[in-house]
Amino acid sequence: MKTSWKHHLYHLLLWLIALLFFLPVLWIFLAAFKSAGELVRWPPSWIFTPTFDNIGEVFDRPNFWAYLRMSFILSIGAVVIALVVAFLAAYSFSRYKPTGTNFLMFLLLSVRMVPASAVVVPVFLMYNAFGWGKTLPGMLLFYAMFCIPFSLWILKGFLDGVSLRYDETALVNGGSRLHVIFRVVLPQVKPGLVAAAIFNLIFVWNEFLFNYILGGQGSTMVPVLLATGVAEGGSIDWSFIASLSLIYMLPPIIAIYLFQKYLLVGMTFGTVRGEV
Amino acid sequence: MVETGRQLDQLAGAPVAAPARQRASRWRSLDDSRFFPTLLLLPILIFFVIWNIIPLLWLTGLSFYRYKVTSSRPAQYIGFDNFVEIFQSTTLWNTLGRTLTFMVLSVGLATLLGALLGLLFWGSTGMPGRRLALTLLFTPMILPPVAVGTFYRLIYDPTFGVLNYYTDRIFGRTFDFLGNKDYAFAATVAVDVWMWTPFMILMTLAALGSVPKAELEAAEVDRLPWLKRLRYIILPHGKFILMLGILLRTIDAFKTTDLVYLMTNGGPGNTTDLVGLRLYRTGFEAFQMGDASALAVITLLIAIAFTSIYLYVLNYREARAGLR
Repeated sequence: MKTSWKHHLYHLLLWLIALLFFLPVLWIFLAAFKSAGELVRWPPSWIFTPTFDNIGEVFDRPNFWAYLRMSFILSIGAVVIALVVAFLAAYSFSRYKPTGTNFLMFLLLSVRMVPASAVVVPVFLMYNAFGWGKTLPGMLLFYAMFCIPFSLWILKGFLDGVSLRYDETALVNGGSRLHVIFRVVLPQVKPGLVAAAIFNLIFVWNEFLFNYILGGQGSTMVPVLLATGVAEGGSIDWSFIASLSLIYMLPPIIAIYLFQKYLLVGMTFGTVRGEV
Repeated sequence: MVETGRQLDQLAGAPVAAPARQRASRWRSLDDSRFFPTLLLLPILIFFVIWNIIPLLWLTGLSFYRYKVTSSRPAQYIGFDNFVEIFQSTTLWNTLGRTLTFMVLSVGLATLLGALLGLLFWGSTGMPGRRLALTLLFTPMILPPVAVGTFYRLIYDPTFGVLNYYTDRIFGRTFDFLGNKDYAFAATVAVDVWMWTPFMILMTLAALGSVPKAELEAAEVDRLPWLKRLRYIILPHGKFILMLGILLRTIDAFKTTDLVYLMTNGGPGNTTDLVGLRLYRTGFEAFQMGDASALAVITLLIAIAFTSIYLYVLNYREARAGLR
């Protein structure tokens, strides 16, 4: 059938476009499995005998596991704190509409729109003065703050969509306010929680500058390792960079595969919703 | 939202059990207290004061001082001198101008490409392996900018970079993309466009999704030509979401720091020096915290302006759509 044939061609074209965007990433993934000689070979090779030595070498690096652990601790810890704080605030904003709601939400969002290098200047000085610099709690709470604005916006958007009648009915039936908040309303904004969690996890996971400046021995994540691996000395250890990138970039890629329907909400902090 | 009384009773039914009811009554006084809304806000207010208000005051205060972290000299009050210096510095104006060019080019190209590809992907619902294909397509925007900035140095490498192999095959010559003053800026913009075109595709798809199906079907029945469909049906409905996407991208492009820091570190010369990077180098390479603060205050004002525009468009859209 002619239409079906056209249809296949159309799908093939879409696949090719998707692959084209992924190509640079694929190149790095391939580089992770190349030997040092293969990596700088001219002409560059697409097909070669893969080696797993590079990946093994990353695992053997003294700092790697500590940094990776910190990536997990900081992103998960910060997101959990941020979600609790943001959810309580979003409930209050959505249901009681205290004076200054819009202004506070606006201000929180604005701060999130400032270049990282501008935000970090005063925080750096403040941390130095208070002795919070280079500490794990200092880093963790900073990242929590970093995650709060988007979480708040996402959750407030979802909470505004939950009818007030749920709250009222639960209250009339003898539920306490806390029961209403956590057992009646919370389950209904689960998609919002998931979207906020996933995207803030990715944000923190990928974050570099704050960590580089505010982090210390016990609070540094993998991106810093990636960046300093480049800065040290003139030559760059490409096998190491490529394998480390591969290991570190896989979790976010898997996350957007699993949580694709939250992508839109997450990337627009809840201001745009719909099916894609 | 569809709700029946029965469902709601079930939802609310749990605390009827005796111990729960006791617990409930203990909270009752708290519930009815007029402080309850504020109590819920307490954690966020603590965060807000410690991590926003205090740094903000610190920043504003310091922008009136000359202060070098590494020197033992105490901070010296100099009034508006830092700001005057910024407004008189040609390097800085150049950096601001370059950032603006970067934003316009990067956002413009990403929007154009994203809108075209978004339209192309509109009918992709029945595509085999759609989820995987979209994951691959959307991958660039969720990668760590540090990693992207780093691995593009490998791809762009003048001696063994894969891109130069193909330019050599096609144009018969190689380019030192990141080392040559003529190409470095364009090469940086290209990476940013690669990274963020998927986002504009996503926003275009969302915009297209917001077009009412009935109107599209009517157009189909009337055999309205494609361009007219775009002009009279798709654009009026989709333009707000597209606008929000463009604004978000603009804000993000203004923030670009990590990517250029890792890829070119502002060089060669100053050709890829953007505001975010300039701020970083003023504060943490030259340790001129006073100057950095003044510059940060300016970027903060710019960010507030962008955010206001964004929210204005958002509110306008919601008011138009009757969402509020």
